Amino acid sequence: MGIRLYKKPKLDSPVLIACWPGIGNIGIIAVDTLRRMVGAEELGEIEPWDFFYPRKVIIKDGELKTLEFPISKFYFKKTTRRDLLFFIGEEQPSDGGRVYAEGTKAYRMANLVLDVALKFGCQRVYTSGAAVAPIHHTTRSRVWAVPNSDVLIDEVRSYENTVLMSDIEGRGGQGNITGLNGLLLGVAKKRGLEAICVMGEIPIYVHGFPIPYPKGSKSVLEVLSAALGIEIDMQGLDGLVEQSERDIDSVYERLPAEIKEQLDKLKYVTYARPAEPGPITEEDKKRILQEIDRLFKKESGGD
Amino acid sequence: MSKERAFKVFAKPELQSSALVISWSQDAGKVGPKVTDYLNRKLEGREFAEINPIGFFPLGGVSVEDDVAQFPESKFYYCQEKGLVVFKSDIPGSEWYEFLNLVLDVAEDYCKAKEFYIIGGMVSPGAHTTPRVLLSVANSVATKGLLTQYDLITDMNYETPDGQRPTLSSFLLWIAKRRKIAGVSLWVPVPFYLISTEDPRAWKKVTEFLDRRFGLGIDFTDMDEEVVKQNNKIAQLRSQFPELDGYINRLESNLSLTVDESEKLVKGMEEFLGRY
Repeated sequence: MGIRLYKKPKLDSPVLIACWPGIGNIGIIAVDTLRRMVGAEELGEIEPWDFFYPRKVIIKDGELKTLEFPISKFYFKKTTRRDLLFFIGEEQPSDGGRVYAEGTKAYRMANLVLDVALKFGCQRVYTSGAAVAPIHHTTRSRVWAVPNSDVLIDEVRSYENTVLMSDIEGRGGQGNITGLNGLLLGVAKKRGLEAICVMGEIPIYVHGFPIPYPKGSKSVLEVLSAALGIEIDMQGLDGLVEQSERDIDSVYERLPAEIKEQLDKLKYVTYARPAEPGPITEEDKKRILQEIDRLFKKESGGD
Repeated sequence: MSKERAFKVFAKPELQSSALVISWSQDAGKVGPKVTDYLNRKLEGREFAEINPIGFFPLGGVSVEDDVAQFPESKFYYCQEKGLVVFKSDIPGSEWYEFLNLVLDVAEDYCKAKEFYIIGGMVSPGAHTTPRVLLSVANSVATKGLLTQYDLITDMNYETPDGQRPTLSSFLLWIAKRRKIAGVSLWVPVPFYLISTEDPRAWKKVTEFLDRRFGLGIDFTDMDEEVVKQNNKIAQLRSQFPELDGYINRLESNLSLTVDESEKLVKGMEEFLGRY
């Protein structure tokens, strides 16, 4: 098991932005868009065979040519403002065949990623993912941010369109970040690195579908680009957001009027401070979520 | 887990060189396990090592098959006289890379294995009366060259379709390729309605190849009897169940069945062969 670096650039205290796939691919779309927009170069990879089962075999003329595995790759970019390191994993390693990483393999991979980060002098890490929230798909996604140290809280509060866990009604600052996008925060803390996970909101009635949610990615990218002081052209992502909204709208329009009426209330649900009380009560919200749950169980059964 | 703790060796075979034959217990038509059991019986294979299940198999309980509790096994046998090593194992549920490397480590370190053959059945849409063929996938051009004089189909092309995963046999072939160990996976098509029962014709096709390749001098009388016995049973089914006979007739004429018809044939065959 190991790391294979293709080159050894001289980087000045780079910031690492790491991501693995998750709900709505919110984090991975944001991080990969950032990587492409800054024109980051390939730096190296984590050898996959200890972590993953292969996903494809190629046999030609009776000879096994190759096996393909999920890729876990590093990139770098030197900029005038600050140097950047990227890590993008195509799959989360897991001991028990689950979608989200957990167990020994996840911990080993998190440490390998940080080995590379530390080797290049990194002291700050960002990860990204999704926050499932009672929001409507036509509203702008906010970004939930979780730092791995209380000294970062003031900085996080300064990010635009961002909330802390304690800002979210009923959470009391508590929560969980599933998989490696969360685990890396903890391992970074253990190894003395600052880390912040930024999670774009995805509507509760969309998160169960195997479709991307670029609107959440856009919000994450806005936060990351501001935090890193990098200007990003959002035009490409805006196109994806519009397409995604049209796709969701087309499903939405086919919903029974009663359900749609209930979901429409989510446009006005406010669940994070500071905010005025929303037009629906807690009881309403509970009923809406139950209805949504019933609806989509029925929908998926019908497919 | 340290390599020493990962496997136990009970005896040290005195082999100057050997070939390794590998089967996985969960296999279409029971091809792999039946062939390796047969080799062990005919060649008086002696168990000499096993891989510890910890870390490779989920040990949260046991499965029950045919009323009997099962436990994962990964055992090595050797046939001193013929220079043959047999590895028969359940398919591990995790740490595949480590597990497959261990298999090659034991074969190389304790038996000086120079080449290996992995046996497997694959689903065929054809009828059981269609003559069995044997397909091979080698892990190098040189290894493929070893197979030219045998009755094998050696020009297979394949890419894993979306939504599916490569077999463990392909994973092992690839690891061996990186370690520069000659390896071949052998695939025999098994009619879809015999997948969960038995296919003695397929067993024989594979065993015949191994017999020729390693000069084992096997007397196939008992396996021939198995083939006849199953042919008779299926003939009996065909005479008792005209609908199922009609389905098989269509397959014999290279016509396909609907999903519903295929399911009926599978169910009927399982029930009938299970009874007798």
